[in-house]
Amino acid sequence: MDLDQSKQELIDFLRTIQRPDYPHAAIDEESGLVESGLIDSLALLQIVSYLEQNYGVDFSERGIDPEDLRSVRSIIELIAREAVS
Amino acid sequence: MNVTSVSDAYRTLAQFHENERLIVWLSGQPWVIWLTPERRKTILYCGAIVAGLVGVFSHDARWRDYHSLAPWLVHGLAFLLLLAILYALYLATTNFQHLPPMIRRRPLVLFHLLFWLLLAVLWFSAGSGGFIVAVLSVIALSFPYLIWRAGYMLLSGQRGKAQDSRFRDHLFYIWPIWDGTNTPPGKGHDYLSRAVAHTPGSYARAILGGCKLLLLVALWRLVMQLIAAAVYGDPKSFFSALLHGYSLGLPRVKQIVGGQVAVPLVQFWLSLYLELIWETLSLAAKGHVWVGVIRLCGFNIFRNTYKPLLAQTIVEFWNRYYYYFKELMMECFFLPIYARYFRAAPKLRVIAAVFAAAFVGNMYYHLVQHKEPLVLGDGDKLWALLGARLIYCALLAAGIAISMLRQQRQRSLSPVAPPSNWRKLRRIAGVWTFFAVINFWNVISQLTIAERARLFFSLFGL
Repeated sequence: MDLDQSKQELIDFLRTIQRPDYPHAAIDEESGLVESGLIDSLALLQIVSYLEQNYGVDFSERGIDPEDLRSVRSIIELIAREAVS
Repeated sequence: MNVTSVSDAYRTLAQFHENERLIVWLSGQPWVIWLTPERRKTILYCGAIVAGLVGVFSHDARWRDYHSLAPWLVHGLAFLLLLAILYALYLATTNFQHLPPMIRRRPLVLFHLLFWLLLAVLWFSAGSGGFIVAVLSVIALSFPYLIWRAGYMLLSGQRGKAQDSRFRDHLFYIWPIWDGTNTPPGKGHDYLSRAVAHTPGSYARAILGGCKLLLLVALWRLVMQLIAAAVYGDPKSFFSALLHGYSLGLPRVKQIVGGQVAVPLVQFWLSLYLELIWETLSLAAKGHVWVGVIRLCGFNIFRNTYKPLLAQTIVEFWNRYYYYFKELMMECFFLPIYARYFRAAPKLRVIAAVFAAAFVGNMYYHLVQHKEPLVLGDGDKLWALLGARLIYCALLAAGIAISMLRQQRQRSLSPVAPPSNWRKLRRIAGVWTFFAVINFWNVISQLTIAERARLFFSLFGL
């Protein structure tokens, strides 16, 4: 799996769900998505759906850990873990 | 001095906790350098033992009279047993992958079932007395405070993030020195580990952030004193003398709902809105104390309450009003339901998860909170305390679900221009009205549900 491509696709997706009043600045890989104001907590649910549909992540077994969805990096790590398992 | 410089001066003062010179100065102080994360954790660990002893020994005068048993022995043994239970849970957390699949899948449900098993034992042994019953009662009375905190520890194990943790890494937030309600401010191991300040510089930032919150506590309490005097005519407020006893003389909502006073419709509505402001200030002041102390301990965590009265949607208000309660409901009820059920029906998926959190979870949390009638098995008392809350939680859940679905729909439409200030104000007013109105059902009263309903509908001229 090409994680760089996944990252770019994720960032493109985040652009579609970001808060309308958030400036169109570069999305920092490390920053908390909700903490930085990029998205609201409701948008996390859309990230869950995005991961289920695009990467086949099955949250029903492992549960949803909000920490996994905290930043671009943590989401990419989750995708990588899923790919391995 | 012009407006810009006044504004800059205000910003400098209000944002003192981000002043780089102050942070550099504070981070150079010997005590800040000495208080490394490990030393702070050791202090918190010792504090947890003391907080645990104080907490257990504070339950409860009636159990101390149990057949003249030595109270220190009952409470002392209860404390040791609770410590043993917590240690067993810690072992389960760190060896989570080796647990049977049923436990791995639903650790919180099983943990809560254990609590209900303990309650059932106490209900069936009612009136039998004796040393063991007294000890079990003190354990059961202690559980509501511990159950959510220990639950975060189990969740950490389920998520595979606690294998290398020590007992002390958990005990300090299970019996925290910052106390709080049954809701754990600062959540648990995962969140606190991420928020811990590792360097003197980041610790200095956390300390200043904590000091700012504690200053805000003083400010909000001052505002509450002013409201108490000017609106409610409370003679105990120290503003009362300053105002020479002048006040609007509005009653509190609990007085109206309790049937103690009858007021004209306009005053009824005013009381509802002012109650919302009062409750928000009160919660903000309490939450800032907890979070302020946690920050002083070196954890740079979110505020518990952050400008909820400026929220433009119901979901946003719920998120900002009591953040750590909302997080608890999200992690224990919303996310498990959202992850497991109705994946093929997105709207139903959201509605089910919202009702799980804001209705079922909210009701369950408050049921467990009323620990004394629960331990005594006093169903009538529980119904009197919680009956009207069923309506409150149902309205809250419906409001949140509609608000979430509306937001999702708007998000799926093409981008629109940001709302005008007038539109923002209307939205804020709508959110205030919703929460002011549903709070009517959150007030404890002697009235029956039917009497309350009549009073409620009179708000709308019905």
